[in-house]
Parts: sequence; C-alpha cells; structure tokens
Amino acid sequence: MNGSEQLLKRLPNDIGGLDAGPVERVDHELEPWEKRCHALADVLDFHKIINTEEKRRGVEALGAEMIGRLSYYERWIAAFANILFQKGILTPGDLARKMDEVEARYAADEAATTTEALHR
Amino acid sequence: MQGGANRSESLGAGIVLAAGEAPVFGPGDRVRILTRSPVGHYRVPTYLRGKTGVVEAAIEPAGVDNEEEAYGRNAGMKRHYYRIAVPMTEIWPDYAGSHRDGLHIEIFETWLERI
Amino acid sequence: MPQLPDAHDHGHDHPHAEISQTGRPSYYEIMETAVRELLIEKRLIGPEEIRRQIEVLDSRTPALGAKVVARAWVDPEFRARLLADGRGACEELGISFYDDTGLIVLENTDKVHNLIVCTLCSCYPRPVLGLPPDWYKLKPYRARAVSEPRAVLAEFGTIIPDDVEIRVSDSTAMVRFLVLPKRPEGTEDFSEEQLADLVTRDAMIGVAPVSIETGRTSR
Repeated sequence: MNGSEQLLKRLPNDIGGLDAGPVERVDHELEPWEKRCHALADVLDFHKIINTEEKRRGVEALGAEMIGRLSYYERWIAAFANILFQKGILTPGDLARKMDEVEARYAADEAATTTEALHR
Repeated sequence: MQGGANRSESLGAGIVLAAGEAPVFGPGDRVRILTRSPVGHYRVPTYLRGKTGVVEAAIEPAGVDNEEEAYGRNAGMKRHYYRIAVPMTEIWPDYAGSHRDGLHIEIFETWLERI
Repeated sequence: MPQLPDAHDHGHDHPHAEISQTGRPSYYEIMETAVRELLIEKRLIGPEEIRRQIEVLDSRTPALGAKVVARAWVDPEFRARLLADGRGACEELGISFYDDTGLIVLENTDKVHNLIVCTLCSCYPRPVLGLPPDWYKLKPYRARAVSEPRAVLAEFGTIIPDDVEIRVSDSTAMVRFLVLPKRPEGTEDFSEEQLADLVTRDAMIGVAPVSIETGRTSR
C-alpha cells in the first residue's frame, strides 16, 4: 500500500485548494506555432473531430510528469496526436513520416537561406 | 444560455416533458455535491466533493454530460447544469477571509442530491 | 490543505528561448505542422480554416469586453439585459461567440466583489476577452483563488473590505464569466469611449478594480 491510488483519484489538473506560491504576473506573446495550435483546437472542435472536453481529458491523460515538463500548447499537440491515433484518424507511422518530411523541409529552407546569404 | 426560471409553469395542458427536460433542482434548493471518486476524467473538483450549497439557477438549455463528452460521447440524455453557491467556510475549515465569501460553480445534475 | 508532488510549476519559458535563439522549429512545432498538414490532406479540415481561425482569435481582445462594460455603465437597460443574458447582450454589440459557450456577467457592487478562475484548466471568456494571460493558467492562481482569494487579490494590490463578499466563480462546464466592475467615481462626464479606455482585462477577471487613473495601456 503506497498511496498511489491518489494519482488516480485526484487528476493532475485538479489543483483547486492546493498550496502554492505567490502569483507571478507572467505572460508571453504566443509563438506563431502556438497560435496555430490554438486555432487547430478550435477547428477540431468545430468539426467535432476532437471536442474541447476530449482535449481536456487528453491533456490529463498525459500524466503528471509530462504535464509538468511540457508547456501549455506542447501538451495540447501531444494530446491531439494521441487522440487522433486512438480514433484511427492518423497512425503513429503517418505522423512520424510527416514530421520527418516537415523537419527536412525546414532544414532545406535553412540551407537555402544560408546559401543565399553567402552569395550576397 | 442563462439561469432559467421554472419552465413547467408555462406548460400547456396535456404536455408531458421528456426525462431531463425540466430541471430537477430550482433556485433556493439545498443540495450536496456527491463524494464520488470516479476513475478517469471528471469536472467536479475534489475540493468540493461532499460540500453542501444552494442552487442559484438552473443553466438553460440542458446539456450533454461533459464527463461523457470527454470520451467522445456527444449524444445521450441531456440534463441540466446548476450554478451552486457554496460558502467558503463550508469548503475550508480554516478559511481566513470574511465569513460572507463564497464560491460559485456549475455542477451537472447527476453530481447533486437534494438535502 | 493537502499537498501533492509538485508537477505544475512548468518551466514553460525555456522552449521559447530555444526557438528564438536558433530559429529552428521545436519538436512540438514540427508535430503541430505535421498534424495540421495530415488533417488537410485527409480533407478532415479545410486548408484555410486554421488561418481564418487565427484571424478570429486576433480579433478578440479585452477592448471588446471594455466596450461591453462601458455600455453597461451608461445604459441601464443594456446593463439589465447583460446581466440576464450575457452572451445575447454581447451579440447585440456585434461580438459573436464562435463556440458553444455561454456567458454570465457578474456585477460588482458595494456588497459583492467577483473573481473568476478555472481551477481544472484554463476556461476563460475568450470570445469577449481574447486569450488569457499565463498567470491565469498557472498553479498559483488556479490553486489559491478558490481557497484564499483575499490573499491573491492583495498580491494584485487589491484590498476588499471584510464587509464585502468575495464571490469566486470556478468555470467547469459551458458557462464562462466576465466581471462587470464598478464604475469609478469622478467619471460622470466621461464619454462611453473614455469609459471603455479605463477598463482593463484584469478588472474583468476581477483581480483589480477600475480606477480613473488606469487605462488599457497600463494593464
């Protein structure tokens, strides 16, 4: 008996009333990808491909460690990937291949920009 | 969407309401938030389980259970959410603020019992 | 109050620092791009929908909420409609709600001071205020606004007398909240636009009052 059932009974986001430090008035301007991620959430909800409540559950399901280490929108996109896999809309293979393609595209763009800069 | 009055007052003769159509609770009703411990997604924070409060209003229209919706079940019987007023001193035994302070929250019908 | 192992003080600053230094997209940005492109390829979402929704989001700022507040201050009948049906009254002013959420407007009076929070996530009246600040989404505010609202307000420099009820609204379902702050003294001759300029996002969350000195430029 190690009290681990508390992890199941109290979700990691259920923090009302817990002890915490002072409110630090932090804010940041969204990165473009974060804004796209927020827009994606809205569009997925409009289509009911992933509704807002499913997104919330999906973030909770990441578990306390991921929740602690991923930023707000990183949690969203990770949750979307998982839910899309569960629903059979995407496969992990699809996503991995596309991510490689996207990454290669960025690298190629970067190389082209560097080459261009050298030739000025 | 707004706090609704008791709609059954304006029903025509012979009209039978579907299950879940009329709010079960009305403004002023004393209710207790259940002490369930669901495994999986929930939308009633732990800090309020078992607390008693007063219904401020039934939220119209009735809605899908958001705890079911989280698993992709968007359909099914709709019921009402209720705006519940709970005194802070009811929630926190050592509440440091004014005894007047309160908390308001929307709770789905299946999480409430009349007391 | 119970204490859980603290997994909620997110070091969310570091990903942004990495991106701006190297210019290279993060793992998550690559994931977002990939997911979006795959969904478009599968025709589950349209190619312009994300771009359009970004425009929708960009069009929602606290200036909209301020307009609602100022109108309520000058027009008692609008105020009554706003308190009876928050979403409907906003829609009267052309503020559309792009989702299924409702809006309840909470009136601050001499007897009641309202504060809004979402302890479970980050529910916020986005159609009328735009996106919430980070502090609203982080643990200290979410954990403590429901258990020690007066201490939290004091951290914002807001002291509420003991004979005024602090009413905290914790969003959990389809309803969102907007605080209708008290109109400050000395603004009797202000135009509606001048009044709107005084209303800050923080006042509409309930962590600060509206004063004749502060305007939206000094949030």
